[in-house]
Amino acid sequence: MSHTVLVCDDAIFMRTMITDILAQAGFEVVGEAETGTQAVEKYRQLKPDLVTMDIVMPDMGGIDAVREIVKQDPDAKILMCSAMGQQALVVEAIQAGAKDFVVKPFQPSRVLEAVQRVLG
Amino acid sequence: MDLSQYAELFLAESREHLSACNQLLLDWERNPASPEPVAGLFRAVHTIKGMAATMGYGRVADLSHRMENLLDHLRRSGRAPADEIIQLLFRATDALEKAVGLAVAGREREADLAVLAEIDRAALQAKPAPQPSGLARHFIEAPEAPEPPDSHNLPAAPPGSARLVHVVIRPEAPLKGGRAMLVVRKLQTLGTVHRVQPAAAAFESDDFDGRFLCELETARPAADIEAAVRSVGDVEGVTFGGGTDESQVSPAESVAGGGRTRHIRVDLRRLDTLMDLIGELVTERGRLNDVAARWVGQDPEIDEVAIQISRLSADLQNEIILARMTPVWQVFDRFPRLVRDVARQLDKQVSFRVEGKEIELDREILDALGDPLVHLLRNAVDHGIEPPAERKRHKKDPEGEIVLTAVRERSSVAISISDDGRGIDRAKILEKAKREGVVDPHVESLSDDQLLRVLARPGFSTAESVTSVSGRGVGIDVAMTRIRALGGSIEIRTEPGKGTAFVLRLPVTLAIVRALIAAVGQERYALPLTYVAETVEFGTVPLTTMEGRDAIVLRDRVVPLVDLRKLLGTNGGAPAPPPRRPVIVLEMGERRAGIVVDGMLSQQEIVVKGFDAPQGTLPVFSGATIMGDGVPALILDSAGLV
Repeated sequence: MSHTVLVCDDAIFMRTMITDILAQAGFEVVGEAETGTQAVEKYRQLKPDLVTMDIVMPDMGGIDAVREIVKQDPDAKILMCSAMGQQALVVEAIQAGAKDFVVKPFQPSRVLEAVQRVLG
Repeated sequence: MDLSQYAELFLAESREHLSACNQLLLDWERNPASPEPVAGLFRAVHTIKGMAATMGYGRVADLSHRMENLLDHLRRSGRAPADEIIQLLFRATDALEKAVGLAVAGREREADLAVLAEIDRAALQAKPAPQPSGLARHFIEAPEAPEPPDSHNLPAAPPGSARLVHVVIRPEAPLKGGRAMLVVRKLQTLGTVHRVQPAAAAFESDDFDGRFLCELETARPAADIEAAVRSVGDVEGVTFGGGTDESQVSPAESVAGGGRTRHIRVDLRRLDTLMDLIGELVTERGRLNDVAARWVGQDPEIDEVAIQISRLSADLQNEIILARMTPVWQVFDRFPRLVRDVARQLDKQVSFRVEGKEIELDREILDALGDPLVHLLRNAVDHGIEPPAERKRHKKDPEGEIVLTAVRERSSVAISISDDGRGIDRAKILEKAKREGVVDPHVESLSDDQLLRVLARPGFSTAESVTSVSGRGVGIDVAMTRIRALGGSIEIRTEPGKGTAFVLRLPVTLAIVRALIAAVGQERYALPLTYVAETVEFGTVPLTTMEGRDAIVLRDRVVPLVDLRKLLGTNGGAPAPPPRRPVIVLEMGERRAGIVVDGMLSQQEIVVKGFDAPQGTLPVFSGATIMGDGVPALILDSAGLV
């Protein structure tokens, strides 16, 4: 059975691209979230194998969402999607419990490597 | 990976964010102490940056990155920005918008980035005093003395004792500090990390070079440690070699979730094609109904099938119409910025309000509506709203008001642009119109209708001087032509000293409309129901005349008549008109007209096809449609008849 993924990003553009990359590699994107609050809620509903999480989102940011999700499920596998120049935020996200990160602009191969690492 | 497939999505989403930027800047300008606008601006610009970088649009990414940098400083400083900063951000947003458009068109190199230097200068000034970053402090205490970097070739320590692990992250890896932090976390799963050098706080700096040491107390062999470190990825070197895979991560149960709502973006052309196909289906449905009516005696089942097909195609049609509906804010959202810019340029004070943002219109109508509304809004600021001094003299609030409202009426949407300005000087327009021979010299005053007709004459301008904003003699005529082409109408109301309002009425959708099919001679004509108020029978209502035209009196109102037979020149072989001819009363806002036809055949849905009127065609047709029997019929343009 293919792994299920929840894609969290406030940009449809990014969600589309991440979904395309993952779907082509055989993952099943079961949900999308545009805000941190939605991400926490959808994680609870969908219990995906993997979460991709943007850092900057309205409502609740990605890092707070990581904290909330890890509080619910310490084994949650969250991959941060960051941009150049977000070093401090990435470090903070990892401290909050994110398992890995990729940096925009995404290269499909690097995204898939990171996903494999996170899923183990 | 082929990125071109994402270009449309990039453009659409960037535009949404740019529109949000303009709105947020307006909010910020009004209330500089508010913390929300800068947070929203930061997010919007950040999102554009990420998307642009992904698309490989370097200049867009660079510009948005520097804007983001400035916004970040402003956000952290927590102080209200100076007005120059907000004006700079308006200019930067404009530059970004242009750059986005050029990038998608493959002409990114033409993007003008002159604003960059200013942004950087402002960012430098806005930069808050450095503060010690506390992010990593609570996580790892990083004490003093650094172990010399060459100390990593230590003999393997006995289990249970501390050992130094020296790690080098690949030089080309992005965000090395993040990677280093992942290594530290990984090591913590093997034992206790006593020390990290340099301090984990250094990981947060962009200058971090990817070399660090950990003092790890663990019973695990070196091979396990190295494997664990390497599993993090982007690791160039570890002190210990060899080893096999290790993973602390156990696969989670995979549970497919239900209850997803997903959105996709669809090219409007797809919807257009779908609409055309459904249009043909509707036409064929009409034929099927005709055939069914003839055959129902032989086999009653055919009637049942025809009814089912009718129902299904009606549902399909409704769905597709709904899919095309778009809330007006998608076009209206750029107007606050426009009004503000024009007002500033003209030294006027204007507050601008939008009501009914959520009202929906067919995407095609909405898109075509943008330019006419821009004309009318510019006019309202330029000609409507008086300069503050003049307003004060007339005991008015120095700040004028312009309101843009969308309201759903029966099967149309009314959009009004009203200002509380000086109103249109009828006497002056009348005088000018007489001078130019537009109205008869004996006319003493202009009604609202006549006024609009005069204003809408191509090239008729009332501006005393041509400004860069309006008054070039284009505007109302252009707006009027566009609105008419969409099957809509314009109305004007104006009162001296109180203000002016333009009301545009538009059908909710273009593609399929319900229409009355009327007969004149041997021809059939379709008259969209959007503006049909009622039908009466000629001869049952009192007759009169109005300005030399035949008219009927309907509930105390005089309604001028248009005889289609006369208008269309129906004669010759056509049968004589029946004695009691029906009159279709059209109503567009305050204006009415009674259309006299030979007979009314049916009420049905018609599929509107645009048509290029041959030269010399009367300006009373807005399109054509194919009837159920395959014969075309012309669609009458209500606005042209009233």
